Amino acid sequence: MLIDTNANLGPWPFTPVPDRPARAFAAHLAANGIRRALVSHLGAVFLPDPMPANRQLFAAVRRTPALLPVPILNPALRTWPEQLAECRAAAPLRAVKLLPNYHNYNLRAAHLTEFMAALAAAKLRLVLNVRLEDERHKYFAMRLKGVPVKQLAQFLERFPKHHVLFTGIYKGEVEQLAPKHENFSVEISFCETTNCLELMLPKFPARRLMLGTCTPLLSTRGEVDKLRGAHIPARAKELIGSTNAQRFFGL
Amino acid sequence: MRIIDVHTHPVFGTKATPAQLQRWIDHGRRHHIVHMIVLGDVLLFGPTPNAAQLRHINDDTARAARLFPDYFTAFCYLNPLLGERAVMREVERCVAQPGFRGIKLEIANNAAHPCMRHVAKAARTFNLPVLQHSWSVVNIRNSQHQSDPSTTALFARRNPDVKIIMAHLTGIGFRGVLEAKGLPNLYVDTSGGFPEEGLIEYAAEHLGADHVLYGSDLPIRENSVTIGRILGARISAADKQRMLFGNTARLLNLPLN
Repeated sequence: MLIDTNANLGPWPFTPVPDRPARAFAAHLAANGIRRALVSHLGAVFLPDPMPANRQLFAAVRRTPALLPVPILNPALRTWPEQLAECRAAAPLRAVKLLPNYHNYNLRAAHLTEFMAALAAAKLRLVLNVRLEDERHKYFAMRLKGVPVKQLAQFLERFPKHHVLFTGIYKGEVEQLAPKHENFSVEISFCETTNCLELMLPKFPARRLMLGTCTPLLSTRGEVDKLRGAHIPARAKELIGSTNAQRFFGL
Repeated sequence: MRIIDVHTHPVFGTKATPAQLQRWIDHGRRHHIVHMIVLGDVLLFGPTPNAAQLRHINDDTARAARLFPDYFTAFCYLNPLLGERAVMREVERCVAQPGFRGIKLEIANNAAHPCMRHVAKAARTFNLPVLQHSWSVVNIRNSQHQSDPSTTALFARRNPDVKIIMAHLTGIGFRGVLEAKGLPNLYVDTSGGFPEEGLIEYAAEHLGADHVLYGSDLPIRENSVTIGRILGARISAADKQRMLFGNTARLLNLPLN
């Protein structure tokens, strides 16, 4: 059984990717061996207030237990505390996701102290998205880079008691962070080179890697096959494919 | 399942020993890859190698094809800016050796440059396809060296009797597919970039599955991912098999049973 830690419902404005209803989305994942997925809504990436998209997410997954909602919040908005409360009331939550580059704030921002304290009090995990697309292929009018690795490092130093899951992070960025920081895990959809996992494991423990497909922006089958086809021990595949996500999200 | 990878660089960074090449073969076979096209360590000396540097790169490529002729086919790497005599001399030198079946171009110049006529002449003379590195310059903004899909398509239109492979489907993107549309001598390889959803289907729809060739860009990309994006695409099983094997076998006339 595989668990996808980075999947998305909703439409994407820049490329013609499938926008599947929740049940069809779960069936698509299941056809690729994924039985459970942590799912956000792409509408929250671009809306000035992410809550309409989060409400769509909660409504969509209500009758699809394989899809576990991860709402996207924007802590730069003054109203985040009430939005967090609304999300917690809408469904059993395991985590929330942040998109600092899309939502135009810096990870050094002061308001994150209160936000992280609120997550800790609510026993919620933080998923921090570094990028959703290869910067070279973005829509021409959208000049947006991934969250700088320096900011990620400062964030990890600032909140040493929080263990964060980075999604959309490059292998090279993981290698920059790994020597100095242990309070983060990595979702692997944007980690790629030939024999990627085989090369990563000596430098980064399998217990901190998790399968993620970035569906529907990336090929689900391609990302699943990255793990299935990896020349690494079966135990490591099990950790990356499901065990780590079960532990991290309390599934 | 049998797969031919039309876009690989098994000689990369350091001179490949026979043992290292054998490891790449073992790696490929684990992924059902029965044959690889070796394009050379094309950036070893920067974007515009001189004649001696080209010979060095092509000799390394030739060595791989000579040591493992059943597994590696070689492409001759060129710098078109060196001029007609240098281009013709290097291609003639390469094709005199066993295993060379194509020409590889990287980022010495973009594919609209007038010097590309020398490449077309060599391709015509020796009946070789030309694989041109291509990437949309909309964001990377280096149109002097990078071949935007529009320039690679222009090269194909100027030389309808030359078979051309526009490399890097993800790099050329949806616009690149449309640039390539309607040019029977132009093929697209699927190497490079992350497995962005929808591009395989889009290429099959607009170019025809028989004009899409599987490529990985090994050792930069992951074979399981680059193959998986085709196996997971919403196209027929027959079209997948054409992309993964048949198209390249036919284009290069590879003697694979």
